[in-house]
Amino acid sequence: MGIPTVTITTTEFVDLAKDTAMSQGVPDAPFVVVPHPMGMIPEAEIQKKAENAFAEIVKTATLWKPSGKLPEMKPAYPTERVTFRGSAEELNSLFFTKGWSLGLPLVPPTPDRVKEMLKGTSLKPDYVIGKVPPRMGALTVELAAAHAVMAGCKPEYMPVLIAALRAMLDPRANWRGATTTTGTTSLLVIVNGPIVREVGIASSQGAAGAEHHANASIGYALNLIADVVGGSKPPSPDKSTLGAPSDFVPWIFGENEDRLPQGWEPFHVKRGFKKTDSVVTVMAIYPPVENIDHWSVTPEEHLTWWGHLATPLVSIGGPCWISQMDQIHLVGIGPEHAQLVADAGWTADQYGKAFWEKARLPFSVWPKGCPNVDLLTRKLGRLTPDTPVPITFSPDHIQTLIAGGAGKHSHYFAPFPSCFPVSVNVEK
Amino acid sequence: MKTKDCLITMGVLLIVLGFLTLTARSFAEGTATAASPASQGFPSFEVLNPEGVVQIVPTVTLNPHPSTLEGKTIMLRWNGKHNGDRFLNRIAELLVKEVKGVKIIRSWEVAPETVEPITGSQERSMELMKKLAAFKPDLVIGSQAD
Repeated sequence: MGIPTVTITTTEFVDLAKDTAMSQGVPDAPFVVVPHPMGMIPEAEIQKKAENAFAEIVKTATLWKPSGKLPEMKPAYPTERVTFRGSAEELNSLFFTKGWSLGLPLVPPTPDRVKEMLKGTSLKPDYVIGKVPPRMGALTVELAAAHAVMAGCKPEYMPVLIAALRAMLDPRANWRGATTTTGTTSLLVIVNGPIVREVGIASSQGAAGAEHHANASIGYALNLIADVVGGSKPPSPDKSTLGAPSDFVPWIFGENEDRLPQGWEPFHVKRGFKKTDSVVTVMAIYPPVENIDHWSVTPEEHLTWWGHLATPLVSIGGPCWISQMDQIHLVGIGPEHAQLVADAGWTADQYGKAFWEKARLPFSVWPKGCPNVDLLTRKLGRLTPDTPVPITFSPDHIQTLIAGGAGKHSHYFAPFPSCFPVSVNVEK
Repeated sequence: MKTKDCLITMGVLLIVLGFLTLTARSFAEGTATAASPASQGFPSFEVLNPEGVVQIVPTVTLNPHPSTLEGKTIMLRWNGKHNGDRFLNRIAELLVKEVKGVKIIRSWEVAPETVEPITGSQERSMELMKKLAAFKPDLVIGSQAD
C-alpha cells in the first residue's frame, strides 16, 4: 500500500517479529524495541516506556532505510543429502544439535528408507505440499517422507500424513499463529472413514493416547515437520509460555463411528463429505477440558453439569478477542454420554444447542481491559454484570463427534483464535 | 637444483590444492561426521537433511520514509493487546507537543473493527490494513505489544 510504518515490539518478541516479516517476503521492516512487557503493567509505567522510546520512534519514522538483503535461494528438490559416519547415538545427537529433531531417538532418513516410504503415496517426490510456517520451509513430498521415516511411520500412513499437512497449510487453519503464540496450543487431528480401519488409526479406548502406532508416529511426524521445516521451537519463534507434551505428539484419533447412536451422522458427513470418504480434519486447539459424569440420568442434568464445567475456558482470553466467538468449537462426546442423550431421543444438534445454552459466564468476570466490548454489545445487546455471555455467538458454532471408548468422559476442544477446522480428503 | 626445488614446490602445491578441492567438494555435498574417534569404526552412509530450504521471494518494496513528520498525518494502529493503546496515546501527546502541524488518527476510534490481535491470515491482515489505508496517512505507527 506504500505507506511507511514503524512497529513497536518488545525485547521478547522482536525476533519473532523480524522472522515473521522476513518469511512474508519483507527482508527488513522498521521496528522499535521496548523492554518487555507492555501488557499487564500500570498506566504510569507504560507511559514511561513510551516516553523513553519516543526519540527512537521519530528517528525510525524519518531516517530508516531498507537493506533489502535476502537469504540465498536453493532448490527445494532433491532434498540435500548429508554423509554421516558414526553410531546411532551420535546421529541422534547430531540431529538434535542441528535442530533437525525433537531430541527423541529417530530412524535415520536414509535415501533407501525414504524411497520405501514414498511407495505409500502416488504423489511425485518433488511435489511441493506447501511452505511450513513460521520459517516457511518448502515441504516437498520427499521431505515429508523423510520425516515420516524419522518418526517411525509405515508407508501406508503417508496419505493420512499428507492430508493432515494439506489441512494445516490451509490459511483457515492459522498454523503460523498456533505455532508462535504464547498460548498452550496443539494440533487436533480427527480421522474419519474407511482409512481408519485400513491403516489402524485408533478410534476407541484411549485413542488419543500415544500408545497406538499409527496415531503416535503420524502425530510425531507432524510435529517434527512443524518444528524442523517450520522452525517452530522455543524460545523463539515458538513463544509458548509453558508448552505441552502435545508438542511431541498432538491430539490425533479416529472418530468412533462404530458407537454413533442410531440416526447420528459421522463428523465428516456433517462437514459435507460422503460416508465412504476418508477425511482428515485438523484444528489448532487449547488444552481440552474433560467432563466426568457418572451420575446424570437425563440429558438435561448431564448438559447442565457439562456446560458449567466448560465455562472456565471462557476465561482463556477468547471472549476478549471477539473473533473467537465466531469460530467453530468442538465437543468430543464419549460414547456412553452420547447414548444417554440419544436414548432420550435427542439429536446431535440438540446436544450442541443445550451445551451452548449452559456454557456461559457472567460479564462481570471479564478482565476490565478487554477490548471490543462495543462489538460484543452490538451482537448481544446491552451488557450488565449479570449478563450470561456464551462461548460463541451461535449454537451452530458447536460441532460434535464421538470420541473415545467405554467410560463416562467427554472433551471440549476450544479453538485457537482465528483458526477454523479444515477437512481434507485422504488421497492415496 | 633449481629445477628440483621447483618440482618439489609444485608437488606440495598440488597436494594442498588437491586437499582443498576434496574438502570443498565434501562441504558442497554436505558432510556430517561424529566427533568421537570411535565413530571411525562405523561405515559412512547418507541421510536426507530434514530441514528443507527456505525460498523467500520479496513480496513488497517498502517506500522511503518521510524526512520530517511536520505537517504529516500519522495513523496510530492498536491491535487490541493490553496497554498498546495507552502507549500510543502517550506517543500522540508527545508528537503533538514536539512536531509542528502533525495530525493524529487513532485506528481504534475511526475503525474499531480493525482491533484484532490475531488476524490468522495475510488476507485478513490486508483486509484490515486497507481499511486503515483509506484514511490516507503518511505514516503508520503500530503497537504489537504483549
